[in-house]
Amino acid sequence: MRYVKLSQENFEEFFNSLKRWGKLYAPVKKGNIYSFQHVENSSEIAFDYTRTMLPLKKFFVKPRDEMLKLKGGKWEESNGAEPIILFGVHSCDIHGLEILDKVYLAEPVDPYYKRRRENSIIIGISCMPDEYCFCKSLGTDFAMHGFDLFLHELPDGWLVRVGSVKGHEIAWENEELFENVTEEDFHHFREFEEKRANSVKRSLNKEGLADILDLAFDSPVWKKYERICLGCGNCNMVCPTCRCYEVCDLWVNAYEAVRVRRYDSCFMETHGLVAGGHNFRATRLDRFRHRYYCKNYFDPESGFNCVGCGRCDEFCPAKIEHVKVLDEVREGLQ
Amino acid sequence: MTFQTHDARILEVKELTPREKLFTLRFVDPEINRNFKYKPGQFVIVDIRGFGEFPISLCSTPTREGYFQLCVRRVGRMTKYMQELKEGDIVGIRGPYGNGFPMEKMEGSTLILVAGGLGMAPLRSVLWYALDTGKYENIYLFYGTKAYEDILFREEVIHLLKHGEDMKCHVKLAYEVESPSCIYLEKGYSPRVCKGVVTDLFRGENFDVENTYALICGPPVMYKFVIKELLDRKLSPGRIYMTLERRMRCGVGKCGHCIVGTSTSIKYVCKDGPVFTYWDALSTRGLI
Ligand SMILES: Cc1cc2nc3c(=O)[nH]c(=O)nc-3n(C[C@H](O)[C@H](O)[C@H](O)COP(=O)(O)OP(=O)(O)OC[C@H]3O[C@@H](n4cnc5c(N)ncnc54)[C@H](O)[C@@H]3O)c2cc1C
Ligand code: SF4
Ligand code: SF4
Ligand code: FES
Repeated sequence: MRYVKLSQENFEEFFNSLKRWGKLYAPVKKGNIYSFQHVENSSEIAFDYTRTMLPLKKFFVKPRDEMLKLKGGKWEESNGAEPIILFGVHSCDIHGLEILDKVYLAEPVDPYYKRRRENSIIIGISCMPDEYCFCKSLGTDFAMHGFDLFLHELPDGWLVRVGSVKGHEIAWENEELFENVTEEDFHHFREFEEKRANSVKRSLNKEGLADILDLAFDSPVWKKYERICLGCGNCNMVCPTCRCYEVCDLWVNAYEAVRVRRYDSCFMETHGLVAGGHNFRATRLDRFRHRYYCKNYFDPESGFNCVGCGRCDEFCPAKIEHVKVLDEVREGLQ
Repeated sequence: MTFQTHDARILEVKELTPREKLFTLRFVDPEINRNFKYKPGQFVIVDIRGFGEFPISLCSTPTREGYFQLCVRRVGRMTKYMQELKEGDIVGIRGPYGNGFPMEKMEGSTLILVAGGLGMAPLRSVLWYALDTGKYENIYLFYGTKAYEDILFREEVIHLLKHGEDMKCHVKLAYEVESPSCIYLEKGYSPRVCKGVVTDLFRGENFDVENTYALICGPPVMYKFVIKELLDRKLSPGRIYMTLERRMRCGVGKCGHCIVGTSTSIKYVCKDGPVFTYWDALSTRGLI
């Protein structure tokens, strides 16, 4: 890894130089929530944001995404991808994106996702956890890769980690804005990271979690939550690693149609419905449990399908808490 | 491209029952047609452009080249559109997808095909493949159907009922609704034709468990009962293959619809299956 320092005086110039590389998106405060939005000015950015409601996936697998266009009876590939820069991404979301990469870039490669991914620059930023975060227990509180540049807050600027060739190119072009990192900067960096690590309040006990959940298939805890959960699917929409989609064709006019995909949710009754009216997950209990199984499936290569971002807790209208459910299931087994 | 389908022309449409039609197709591009290789048990995604896509098993055998066949039951919107298509019409096809049955591994063994209703479609591919290659010791077909009118590929099944023995192909049929035609068949071929459900066909049957594979396809309720019959006869779970259905959109492990299992084992029916062994079912909850 290469480390450089960006002083606060130079930040504005650095930020404006990024526009050369693509359209800039950054977290912006909108009412009570934060959202990745197009920004022109660094003053629009909420640097101290906690989490956006929709994660980064909205740029790569769009809520409503046109795949193919039907013209004269033939499908044509839809849309190219414009170059974008995602500025101010937290570590957990970088991990979330890597989990999506595993799925969408595996053979056969999803062409839409790949194109957008190749045309994006990810610039990370350090953060302070709030009461919902449990990233530390999942090891997603720090990103070792998956970004081009990562900015860590210092008292007088930023310690920048350069994480990719593209990141190097950006640093190269802005050479005059950067300085060498000093012993003192490293000290501040370490201090910040320690403070951060110590402020993560919530933790998930991962010890044997996959097997414990599997054994607790008939746990009364699932049944308790079946009654509380509204089945709204919000938790799916806001999760950076949830990615189920539906596909349908829509007519534009008598001669043209488009094939679009849109987010689907395993909380919807139709998710497991097949011909003959048979539903493989007929009850809310089945669906609630399925989501926990899917999120906590442990892949030896990429870990859990959850990055501990806390979105599902913050945006659950029934105030269901992810870690609490898992802890209760674990306790129920003893 | 991943989600682009290729033009295929419908060569023939045949009504099998009032609900099911058999479509014979060929890719318009001869090159694609030549390169289209598949295994029994695999499926394709059919694209009726501007209306949508749906998965259908290949019911023809790769031993007969130049065309492929799909047996489509009318259950909803897409399958209704499909059934309205005529000879000469074009649909899009992508695939083949899924793992298929391990035909080569099973060579030299006896195959027991257990079909319930529409489950006959993918197993027909196995049946014809086995007959065409002649590489299997014996072939049993246990077929459970509602009524005489519902027997899929009726002429083929009855032909094999009559003449199959010469090809070491033993057909047994169970029906639920009585009719003159069924009684006529039962008279001629008792006890191979009887009133009952598909598990009744196992009565009195014993097989060399060291050299037999069972291949199952049918409605979800059928699996447990059929598997019990097979395990009772000491067939190893690794020799029991079943092909499963789930809601599918992408067919290639992206859309998440066909995911089954729990925190210890997750499987995609579209790419890890649709053919699984009973061992898989024992380690992946929710598979059957
Ligand atoms: C691997 C596989 C092989 C199949 N092989 C055959 C076959 O050989 N012959 C055949 O007739 N049918 C087969 N099917 C079932 C077939 O895909 C569905 O009947 C068809 O998709 C229904 O679409 P529809 O628009 O007509 O129904 P809809 O109007 O959409 O709905 C009717 C019913 O079909 C269910 N359904 C809708 N989409 C799907 C889907 N993508 N997958 C499964 N169920 C769905 C709905 O939940 C509903 O219960 C197979 C399914 C799979 C997964
Ligand atoms: S399950 Fe909840 S905490 Fe985990 S990644 Fe998804 S939204 Fe974030
Ligand atoms: S957001 Fe909460 S209430 Fe809605 S489906 Fe998820 S767990 Fe249930
Ligand atoms: S059908 Fe989309 S993941 Fe299996």
